[in-house]
Amino acid sequence: MKPSAIRPIALVLSRELIITVLLLLGVSFVVFIILFASPGDPFSVLLEGQLSTAEVRAGVREVMGVPRSWTTQYLSWLAGMLTGNFGTSIRMGLPVLPEVLRVGFNTLILTIGSLIITLLIAVPIALYSAVRGTDKISWPLTMFSYVISALPVFWLGYIVIYFFTHKLGLFPLAFGFSSAGQPYRWLYQLLPIFVLGVGNGTISEVIRFLRQEMGRVMAEDYIRTARAKGASVWKHSFKEGLLIPVTEIVASKIPFILGGAVIVEQVFNWPGMGRMAWQAAQDRDYPVIMGIAILAAVLVRMGSLFQSVVYVIVNPRASKE
Amino acid sequence: MKHYSQIPGEISEFSDQPFWKKADAVDLAYVGYGLLIVTLVVVSYLLGSFSLLPRDPQEIDLGLMMARPGTAGHLLGTDFMGRDMLSRLIVGIQAYFLPGLLAIFIALFLGAVLGVVAGYRGGTFDTGITYFTNLVDSFPRLVLILLVVAAFKPDIYYIMLVVGFTNLPVVTSLIKGKIQFLKQKNFIEADVALGVPTSTIILKHILWHNCRSLLIIQATLGMAEAILMETSLSYLGFGVQEPTPSWGNMVQSGANYFMQGKFWPSTAPALAILFTILGFHLLGDGLNNILEGKRNT
Amino acid sequence: MTTVTVLKIEDLRTYFYSRSKQAFIRSVDGVSLEIEKGKALGVVGESGSGKSITALSVMGLISAGPGVISGKIGFRSDRIQKNLLQDLEDFVKLTARDGKIMDVSKDVVGWDRNTERVMQKLRGKEIAMIFQNPKSSLNSFTSVGKQITEAIRLHTSIKSQPEAKDRALTWLDRVKIDSPRLRFDNYPYGLSGGMCQRAMIAMALACEPSLLIADEPTTGLDATIQSKIVDLLAELKSELGVTTMLISHDISIISRLSDSVAVMYGGTVCDYGPAKEILSTGFESKHPYTSALLASIPSAQNIKEKGYLQAIEGEVLDTINVPAGCRFYSRCNRVTEKIRERCERHEPDLREIRSGHKVRCWLYFD
Repeated sequence: MKPSAIRPIALVLSRELIITVLLLLGVSFVVFIILFASPGDPFSVLLEGQLSTAEVRAGVREVMGVPRSWTTQYLSWLAGMLTGNFGTSIRMGLPVLPEVLRVGFNTLILTIGSLIITLLIAVPIALYSAVRGTDKISWPLTMFSYVISALPVFWLGYIVIYFFTHKLGLFPLAFGFSSAGQPYRWLYQLLPIFVLGVGNGTISEVIRFLRQEMGRVMAEDYIRTARAKGASVWKHSFKEGLLIPVTEIVASKIPFILGGAVIVEQVFNWPGMGRMAWQAAQDRDYPVIMGIAILAAVLVRMGSLFQSVVYVIVNPRASKE
Repeated sequence: MKHYSQIPGEISEFSDQPFWKKADAVDLAYVGYGLLIVTLVVVSYLLGSFSLLPRDPQEIDLGLMMARPGTAGHLLGTDFMGRDMLSRLIVGIQAYFLPGLLAIFIALFLGAVLGVVAGYRGGTFDTGITYFTNLVDSFPRLVLILLVVAAFKPDIYYIMLVVGFTNLPVVTSLIKGKIQFLKQKNFIEADVALGVPTSTIILKHILWHNCRSLLIIQATLGMAEAILMETSLSYLGFGVQEPTPSWGNMVQSGANYFMQGKFWPSTAPALAILFTILGFHLLGDGLNNILEGKRNT
Repeated sequence: MTTVTVLKIEDLRTYFYSRSKQAFIRSVDGVSLEIEKGKALGVVGESGSGKSITALSVMGLISAGPGVISGKIGFRSDRIQKNLLQDLEDFVKLTARDGKIMDVSKDVVGWDRNTERVMQKLRGKEIAMIFQNPKSSLNSFTSVGKQITEAIRLHTSIKSQPEAKDRALTWLDRVKIDSPRLRFDNYPYGLSGGMCQRAMIAMALACEPSLLIADEPTTGLDATIQSKIVDLLAELKSELGVTTMLISHDISIISRLSDSVAVMYGGTVCDYGPAKEILSTGFESKHPYTSALLASIPSAQNIKEKGYLQAIEGEVLDTINVPAGCRFYSRCNRVTEKIRERCERHEPDLREIRSGHKVRCWLYFD
């Protein structure tokens, strides 16, 4: 990349960053509205949770009890969040943000791992179909991907667990994430990744999208020129036909994967954001569920940002727009 | 080996084959299967509403637990409490059918409204609506639903409201895209120049003539989504509660038995989910290929 | 002085298939052409006449089905001599009814594999092709220079990037691009259409191919630029003696560059001979279509003679509905009563009426 190319790229990226920040603000507002409108008045609970114990003792609570306009409430809550204060968990009594980040990291592993698995399955099928069209091999594969995308991921989880515990006898029935002393512990940790990667329900759409994009690129004039000059078609079609579509579809499917993670974490007892969210929903632990919702949105927007970055770097025209 | 054959006789400009001959056999198969599933669902829903069931879904028969399909009187066997599987599956449809329709309606209606405004008016409206749809897209559906469940109550209709909302960005962008396409072809300009009233342009020309296949397809995909959400939620324990059957909670309660090697109580509802969602997906994709995809010879 | 025929196409047929009409699109329906070394053949005709498809068939770039179904394409260079459609009959079975092909069975996958095996060694190295719409024909994600060096490194003995760059720069200069060093790193979107086309020509000729196929190289460019590109091609041809096949619907382009001309209509060649004969004005021994084409060119002479531009009546032949008789019959304005029945019922074959000049028209046979 030439030095002269860096400045326009930086400009485009700063624009994307600003949009991301605006969207995250919107996210916080949506979450706020939901909590504020809730009959149980969770919002006061939230605000209270943001106070330190000293302030509580000092009777700030009385001041808090005075009805204030919702804008002030929102802003003070937002200010709290921006300084890292997400309130305190009702159930656990611990500050929310560190806890959510801790489990969020586990979910991140799960998410990225499963995306890799999804791509490992989807990309070869998509590329094959793009080149060969509908033939004896691609049709059953496409059918297979449809079936996989419709099966409930929790049931797939059961099948996998049963297979590994009973048939292969590798783990005892009561397993846990940090089950020490298990000979195949690393393999066990791959299971939820595998299950989420296969069962997240997006495979057929990913295949369809990638095949469509690669097919479109293969029909472009410049690929015909590449063929005519004896150059490698894959080399020329890679950027527009594979790299960019993959980042695009991955970014757009992150919300789905995170949703699937909620279920998979339940099935495998994986200590991630999803399981914590489920617990929090059951306990009406507002600060926690709110923290998770916001963190999830942050992850989604990070994915989107990443996609924009790749696009700008790869496409020489993007920086001029 | 590929075979190409031409029928003797004159070929005129209008001798296009009817769509059922032109379309890929595969797509027709998809649509056929999808319609079959839709019919089964609707029929089952009606049966369930009027309680026209083979047996009482709550009737416990401890002497006949986890019977195989085909056992006397139980076409699909029984679950771990001896309750008739087929009846429970049929009743399970009640859990998602009407709520699913609500979700579809919200997604299509609001999505169309926003799509039309964004496409037709453009400008700042477009920017604002794009911001809004990006915002909605930022949330994982399930997490948002859990948030709503925590804040309000785990009512399936509230939940389907959320599902409908989260589906609307797709509809909005598709409709907006269609309008931009029509604008590019100057259809809309021509309409306006001819003095056609705006409501007619939007309702009849844009939505009905040009977008209806798109909307139908989104409806099928929306229903698939609704089923997925409802079953996931009842699996997690937030939807319909035992002993009322929902496919999701049926899989969940059969989990322990699954680990003991008794697969049927969990597998029967799981297969129901599989085949039903598959049906809606295939219907949507098949229709998409037939109606929207193949425009060229 | 012996003349070497670099390219000899014999009775080429390339068909496509319309699923919605369940009928063949007979884009190239029995075309025969040849080009001698160092000469330029101009192939002229309206859109849909099959000229581009002929070129793509030579290159083996037809992807839709059924594609090439019969014929011979003889190619001969200093290094290679081959029938590019060798063994085609092993992959294709044709069934005709009333002289018209109605059924085709083709092992498409097998034939494609066979074609790739043969053409991979030739594309870019022995036969180079340039296309219309140069901006979209270049990869917009890579710099122009890199695309040229890619070709050089693939097909010549130069394998290192710095050396290839040198050669590329020499060629960029040769095709008259200003500031070659600067332009080398430009992306296609930063260059004008004319410059992109020059770059494509550089990319094609830098590998010193034995045959250059130019498919509508000036279409899509501004009129003044078109002229400059044609000048460039003429210059390169006389300097390097590149054997060229030039395809265009624009007769004026063809006339400035060709030694011999083939006029195509409805998937067949209807007039074929030395450029001087075919392109001269006047009615001597020419296919009615050729005369009509010439009469419709905006030129001072035409307008002076007639006072208006003569359009050709009727519509271009739809290559799905190929008529039984002469393909040009419905639009021909030179049919006489004596031959009318023949024109309507039987298609004339391409016959030599003067040395080196062949015409497909009943007017000239008796």
